[in-house]
Amino acid sequence: MTTPEINPARLAIFDSLVSSIAEEMGAALRHTALSPNIKERADFSCAVFDHEGQLLAQAAHIPVHLGAMPESVRAVERLEPWRPGDLAILNDPFLGGTHLPDVTMVSPVFAHGAGEDDAPIGYVASRAHQADIGGMAPGSMPVARELIQEGLVIPPIRLYRNGELVEEAMDLILRNVRTPDERRGDFNAQIAAQRLGERRIADLHSEYGDDGYKQTTEALLDYGERLTRAALRELPHGVWSFADSLDDDGHTEEPVPIRLRLTLDEDRAHFDFSGTAPQRAASINAVAPVTRSACYYVIRCLLPPDTPMNSGLFRPITFTLPERSIVAAQTPVAVAAGNVETSQRIVDTVWGAFNQLLPERMPAASSGTMNNLTAGGIDPRNGQPWAYYETSGGGLGGGPESPGLDAAHSHMTNTLNTPAEALELAYPLRVVENSIRPRSGGRGRRRGGHGLVRRTEFLGSAQVTLITERRSQQAWGAQGGEAGSSGRNSLEVRRADGTRSRRRLPGKITVDVEAGDIIRLETPGGGGWGEAQPR
Amino acid sequence: MAQSHDRLDERSHDRLLGVDVGGTFTDFVFLRDGEIEIAKRPSTPDDPGRAIINGLTEFGWTPEEVVHGSTVATNTLLTRTGAPTALITTAGFRDTLVIGRQARPDLYALHPQRHEPLVPRRLRYEVDERIAADGTVIAPLDLAQLDAVLDRIARTRARSVAICFLFSFINPEHEQSAAERARSRGFDVSASYEVLPQHREFERMSTTTANAYLAPVMTRYLDSLESKLEDRSEGDVRLRIMQSNGGSLSAGSAGRNAVRTVLSGPAGGVAGAFAAAETDGFPQAMTFDMGGTSADVALCPGRLLERTDLVVDDMPIRTPAVNLHTVGAGGGSIAWFDPGGALRVGPQSAGADPGPAAYGRGTLPTVTDAHTVLGRLRPEQQLGGTVDLDVERAREAISTIAEPFGSVDGAARAVIDVVNANMARALRVISVERGYDPANFTLVAFGGAGPLHACDLADALGIPQVLVPPAPGVLSAAGMLISDITRDAEQGLHLTIGPEDAGSVGRLDEAFSVISEQARAAIGEDGYDSNVRIEFAADLRYLGQSHELTVSLNDGHDAQSVRNAFHEAHVERFGFSNASTPVEVVTARAKARHEGYRGDLGVASASDGSQSHTVNVSWDRERATRVMSRGSVDESVSGPAIITQVDTTVTVPPGWSATPLSTGSLLVKRDQR
Repeated sequence: MTTPEINPARLAIFDSLVSSIAEEMGAALRHTALSPNIKERADFSCAVFDHEGQLLAQAAHIPVHLGAMPESVRAVERLEPWRPGDLAILNDPFLGGTHLPDVTMVSPVFAHGAGEDDAPIGYVASRAHQADIGGMAPGSMPVARELIQEGLVIPPIRLYRNGELVEEAMDLILRNVRTPDERRGDFNAQIAAQRLGERRIADLHSEYGDDGYKQTTEALLDYGERLTRAALRELPHGVWSFADSLDDDGHTEEPVPIRLRLTLDEDRAHFDFSGTAPQRAASINAVAPVTRSACYYVIRCLLPPDTPMNSGLFRPITFTLPERSIVAAQTPVAVAAGNVETSQRIVDTVWGAFNQLLPERMPAASSGTMNNLTAGGIDPRNGQPWAYYETSGGGLGGGPESPGLDAAHSHMTNTLNTPAEALELAYPLRVVENSIRPRSGGRGRRRGGHGLVRRTEFLGSAQVTLITERRSQQAWGAQGGEAGSSGRNSLEVRRADGTRSRRRLPGKITVDVEAGDIIRLETPGGGGWGEAQPR
Repeated sequence: MAQSHDRLDERSHDRLLGVDVGGTFTDFVFLRDGEIEIAKRPSTPDDPGRAIINGLTEFGWTPEEVVHGSTVATNTLLTRTGAPTALITTAGFRDTLVIGRQARPDLYALHPQRHEPLVPRRLRYEVDERIAADGTVIAPLDLAQLDAVLDRIARTRARSVAICFLFSFINPEHEQSAAERARSRGFDVSASYEVLPQHREFERMSTTTANAYLAPVMTRYLDSLESKLEDRSEGDVRLRIMQSNGGSLSAGSAGRNAVRTVLSGPAGGVAGAFAAAETDGFPQAMTFDMGGTSADVALCPGRLLERTDLVVDDMPIRTPAVNLHTVGAGGGSIAWFDPGGALRVGPQSAGADPGPAAYGRGTLPTVTDAHTVLGRLRPEQQLGGTVDLDVERAREAISTIAEPFGSVDGAARAVIDVVNANMARALRVISVERGYDPANFTLVAFGGAGPLHACDLADALGIPQVLVPPAPGVLSAAGMLISDITRDAEQGLHLTIGPEDAGSVGRLDEAFSVISEQARAAIGEDGYDSNVRIEFAADLRYLGQSHELTVSLNDGHDAQSVRNAFHEAHVERFGFSNASTPVEVVTARAKARHEGYRGDLGVASASDGSQSHTVNVSWDRERATRVMSRGSVDESVSGPAIITQVDTTVTVPPGWSATPLSTGSLLVKRDQR
């Protein structure tokens, strides 16, 4: 099973070494970034690759980045040949990115003492969700139709050449975003993480020697592959189908279906999304890497705890993704919600298929949305522009062992909320309520988790965009459990007499608010598991 | 109450006891007329104080002063046996305790689980009140509503009340009046502006609630222990408790501030190891404590570092604690193959029961078995006088995983390599990831298994030398005995110092003068008025960042000093600074310190009585190796060598040499090549 040189101990030791490099990059990025989105919410990932761009280790806080990082390394190949000190930046969803706010940096790693003509021994990459990257709405997640409306599109370009900053490129980017100082700080944090990762990989490479390093990285990937195959061998074999859908695309009201045919045989898995809706002139389109990430995420949940994260894990997994569909979008459509919302529904679809083959193991559907709120305006306290992004949790699905968690993030995200006390110090906002939404979890032997009620008051006029899901549909129950409650968005407007009127808002909308207005999010509950006892 | 006693600061340390109550053993270090005695007795988990009292009676010791490391707070949290507690908070926020930061603890759990909060929803109450981020009152505290809430709480079993209002760390007036009213009704009150006056409502609420939950239990335990200690003594006995950050405080204060003691025991170990290193002249130390199930490592760059991001069972505990990193690697850690064929070690442990195969009952291969197979743990050595090592049984256990390695010895070496890699990763997290170069540090090894692995770890990280203190088995108790008495006071501020600002910073001066008086008063209540030193520090960040660095400000806190200290700390930690960015002072901190015992802790290491001899031990290959008892090491010993003592085994690999120091420590250095 193992090559003679790479014994099972060396494998574990090497995995521990490359993983700590990815983690160290993550620690450096998080601690030096400026925006709350990266520091408080940890909306970023760092990864280490071999010379062919295969993932060796990833410090992922965000599952949606799982299968998408290797695409970035592939996308920067067009910039070859590399020189030491080069560093590429990109966010183009159709060229290695996911959605525009996720800005990715990739840099080649050269061996210590490498000559001018030597090829890189590997790559390091970091991806961070930037709070604003321009476009038609603050926060760069508008209810859009075209990609170009969502923000500045950065194809893979060099940000550093031979260790020198390409200042024109930096200037161009910063001139196109709403909060350039904050962006510059976050970019610098990403650059520092990249440089750290480069040094550490070069050190590791010289410790192992060129041949030893190559052999060990190959052995690590083979090992990942064996882990997945071993897990798939334990599952029932056969074909299962499931369909779920998005509420709407933000422009029309009709549901948008996602269909899956899952085939498990021997030690392989095939995901066929034929029959899924064609891409829309809307932002709910997911690019193929996002779809793959969602499937990898579910597989990863079925693997043992402490499973390392590398490309080998995903070798036994194959896909049929219909071209120009909402699970494999192509230019020129918008994609912001594909990353955050459609990815959740893809998980629900895959989850539903696995529910049929593992009924005693799989929980019901979780809330299925990140409840995205972006907002921005001019801060009345200091006249400065501000941009803010927050996602909110909902109820998790009930499962065979226990009820679903209340008010937590599920599946493709796990970002932290911004504390009211941090938020109110930083922005002209006030959180007036952050509570569990009673009775919103689906009933069942194990009930679904409850969603939450989060009410945010605006202290000055602002533009707000909501990108939310499960507003007309619901998170389904499993094994006879009931569905969770749909979510609800509303605007509480202060009347002249101080009382408030409440107006329902659609799931996806951009709206102007005035000082004193409150945006009220009631997030969906999770599905219940098993039949409820009669009351 | 302190007034009725002699002033403590004028008393000598005549009969001073350090006692660490662990899960299995209670360790004693007794200082009498400059002489040190050590002892170990089985713990009595149902009443941890009984082991202390029984031990003292058995040994005939009558300490005047006892410094106690207690697991009562930790265990009470982990077993959920604290006092029924109610929470009062700002309208709209009573579920904050559950929602937390809304993240699930494990990203890839199929069915994520979270611990229940300490206070159930029916005991979480809201009142109308609101203070804004700048401290202005937006909605006044509704006193009638508050009284009604207190009436309702009075009808429940809860007698301990946590109060946490938004922005109380900026303006505490609402919390103050609510606390006053609750106290006048006879409730025990933990108010967040007192427990942890810092921003981030969930973390503050969690810490405050934990304190309310623990304080009554801790107070009861300490009152009872104190009176038992006094019963068997002629005069007063002063009882001090180790805090999580390595300083101690009086038993009375520890009861009220129970949440500050959740890392009491491990703090003793770090403090003891650091003190040993300092005494031997190596203040740049990394401490490494490896026991049966886990290993604790901590970085001490010339001082004890503190952290404020501890999490226990999903509950943030933000009071200062030693900066400890724990990894599931111990002598009992089990070796296994994962489905991909990689060798893993831990986190499952054979524990004390059945224990490693070498101890006679277990069958699974463990780290201890690997050492036994390789001859690094010696059958002729008496492990604490209790267990005989069964070499054959250990060999059988390791042979179950030997196939891919070609030999049992090869498998045993692989087990040790893997567990070392796990621990090296932990050491990297606390050093390299924070910008410290291990080449400048000494690794202080203790615990039953620490000195077995220390040289290998030093090799992996490029640490030049290893220090083994004289009594590595009771180092935590020693750390308690020598601990300083400290009291902390904090104040959340959120003020900004611009890149061009100069001169004194009014609000910071004011905050420091308030909290230094608070800290001084607190330590005075503990009985220490003179020889009190105040240390200043602040949690600082660049404006717009949201993680802070705690930076020492003892050399002044005018605008330039604060800025420079922060730039320096930022460079040290992250490799760069932003001179043009304003610096935000998030929290000001003052620590009142009264020095504890400063003297020699050198104790003659108990020899296990075995004779020096030579055996074959497997290192990189089999080599003739000297085996000797610690007591017989009176000059430098070249590796390979194995030095045994009752409570641990020190390995000196080929290429290393061990030298005894006058303090009783053993210094193991890599030979010059």
